[in-house]
Amino acid sequence: MNLLSILGVFSSAIFSGTSLLYTTLGEVIGERSGIVNLGLEGVLLVSASSGFAVTVITGNPYIGVLVAVIIGGLMNMILGYLIIHRKANQLASGLALMFFGFGLSALIGKSYVGAKINALPRIALPGLENLPKLYSSLLSFDILIYTAIPVAFLVWWLLFRTRWGLGLRAVGENADTAYASGRDPRLIRYQALFLNGLLAGLGAAHLSIAYTMTWTEYMTAGRGFIAVALVIFSRWHPLRAIVGALLFSGAVAFQLLLQSSGVQVSPFLLDTIPYVLTVLVLIAWGGNRRHSAPASLGRVYHGTE
Amino acid sequence: MKKKLLYILVLAALLLSACGQATAVPTESPVAATEPPATEPATEVPTEAAEPCLIIGALYGGPITDAGYNQAMHEAVMEIKANIECVKIIEAENVPDEAGATTTMENMISQGAKLIIATAFNHQYPALELSKKYPDVKFEHAGGWEMGPNFANFFGKPPDGWYLMGVAAGKMTKTNKLGFVAAFPLGWTLVFINAFTLGAQSVNPDVQTIVAYTYAWGDRAREADTTNALINQGVDVITMHVDSPATIISTAESRGVYSIGYQSLAAQQFAPEYWISGTGFTLGGKLTWIASTVIDGTWKPIFLRCGIAEGCMAIAPFGPRVPQEVQDLVMQVKADIEAGKIVVFAGPIVDQDGNIRVAEGEVLTDDKMSSVDWFVKGVVGSPK
Repeated sequence: MNLLSILGVFSSAIFSGTSLLYTTLGEVIGERSGIVNLGLEGVLLVSASSGFAVTVITGNPYIGVLVAVIIGGLMNMILGYLIIHRKANQLASGLALMFFGFGLSALIGKSYVGAKINALPRIALPGLENLPKLYSSLLSFDILIYTAIPVAFLVWWLLFRTRWGLGLRAVGENADTAYASGRDPRLIRYQALFLNGLLAGLGAAHLSIAYTMTWTEYMTAGRGFIAVALVIFSRWHPLRAIVGALLFSGAVAFQLLLQSSGVQVSPFLLDTIPYVLTVLVLIAWGGNRRHSAPASLGRVYHGTE
Repeated sequence: MKKKLLYILVLAALLLSACGQATAVPTESPVAATEPPATEPATEVPTEAAEPCLIIGALYGGPITDAGYNQAMHEAVMEIKANIECVKIIEAENVPDEAGATTTMENMISQGAKLIIATAFNHQYPALELSKKYPDVKFEHAGGWEMGPNFANFFGKPPDGWYLMGVAAGKMTKTNKLGFVAAFPLGWTLVFINAFTLGAQSVNPDVQTIVAYTYAWGDRAREADTTNALINQGVDVITMHVDSPATIISTAESRGVYSIGYQSLAAQQFAPEYWISGTGFTLGGKLTWIASTVIDGTWKPIFLRCGIAEGCMAIAPFGPRVPQEVQDLVMQVKADIEAGKIVVFAGPIVDQDGNIRVAEGEVLTDDKMSSVDWFVKGVVGSPK
């Protein structure tokens, strides 16, 4: 263990935690409005492939990120139509969206597998530009990493410090009461889902355009589900989501550090960490009113006709 | 009415995507790393010839633009067409699973294919079954071990190439630590790591190869993390056995660390500066010969393995930072291997724990390589 390897765990945690954080933040907003989005995995894939494809075509990673974000929002509108308009079951609709995403992303990304892109440029932390490349490359981050934590605070502010956020949380607790107080639960849920999709799109863009610089089928490898677990771990709070995302990606990076220094730990065991943490959180705070799930989570709003 | 129509459309879209979604089981292939889903219908390559002299059906486990194994196989098949103009080629990519392979091959045969080239690990048994059902069709599988009256297999000999890459890496490293990113600890992967390490040790006795597994064929973020973890341990040359090397090579390049590619020669584009070299499959010549024997009726089932000397594998051009003397040394060792002066797995070979695995005067033969479950001395990491 030397300075470089410890720094490396830290750097890897940030790099691979960023896409998780954005996705988790999106899901926090969605679940706060009462919607569980099990389709996130599919949304991430479609955003990642379309963002990557557009980056290849235009040669401009920023346009790619923009497209990934918009596509994320639109993908979630499919879910919105199913569960808000058609009043379909949330879990079933989410899973359908996920499978749809598997197929669609493969179709979109097919001709771009193996393409080389201009990735999002990495900017070294100020004052560290003159370190040897081995070190400075660990501490050069792209713009999406620098904005991740501010976005978490923005989400927190939106949810807990604005009237819109109050309305959104009210819909998640009891949509009928929110309706009675003059809010439109359907509109608010559409808005929440759209934001959920935008943030998932940012996460996906970071994965394909900034970090791995490639597109392959199923490259998200379960990150959509890890995000759902991390939402529970963070007890539906955007700031705790930062800790969750860093903890999880840090655990992966630590396992790789152990492996590369000749210590063998089962990676399969470590892969269960986010879910074990989730179970522990549920055991500790499951019945606590202050930390419980939004009361209407997963319920279909039938309106008041 | 309009609402209903939309409803049906959405439903249809969901169904369609669900159908394309075959089982997502990672295939444990020594060479052909394949990824989940999306079996696609065979696409026809249009030809002008009215009556093709031979219709060839070729199927691949993954996308043919992966800058990896599938691209190498696709280019080899395309070479048949370039050499024998009258053939017609039907290709299908993204056929990772056995059920999909069976229907794809039957579809090709019903279109008149008389030669089937199945390139993924999981295609072997479906192809073998079909070879009994269609005795007049010839089947060629890449990298397998089964044989039959109209079923044979062909492949390159990667260990020689890995040994040469080891020689280059052993000369280029300053820290004496080489990094190997592998997907799973499978027999052939271990053989490659061993050959690479033996090559490096032949020019630099102090060298170590550090191995880290991603335990996934397609998880690109973990490949990047793994590459970084190795580099942070002081590794200054990175190589890999995963399905597509793009992420690993790009990550090494961004850290200013040398990289060595495998499978397709197209990997070099991801490392303009720190590329050392790489080996890739160039099986086009042999496939052309196989196709020509099918056309003139002299085809026989041959267990075909051919290396660099026979033109079935090639060494990629060296990168700009590789000194001339290192390039010359690699070429010298290559000539020695071709002349039989150097045999990669000639004993004595000692494993990590000091046990003798290949005794003095013996050679590890091809048929024993797929069951290798040990690392040579000098490899850091677990072979299990």
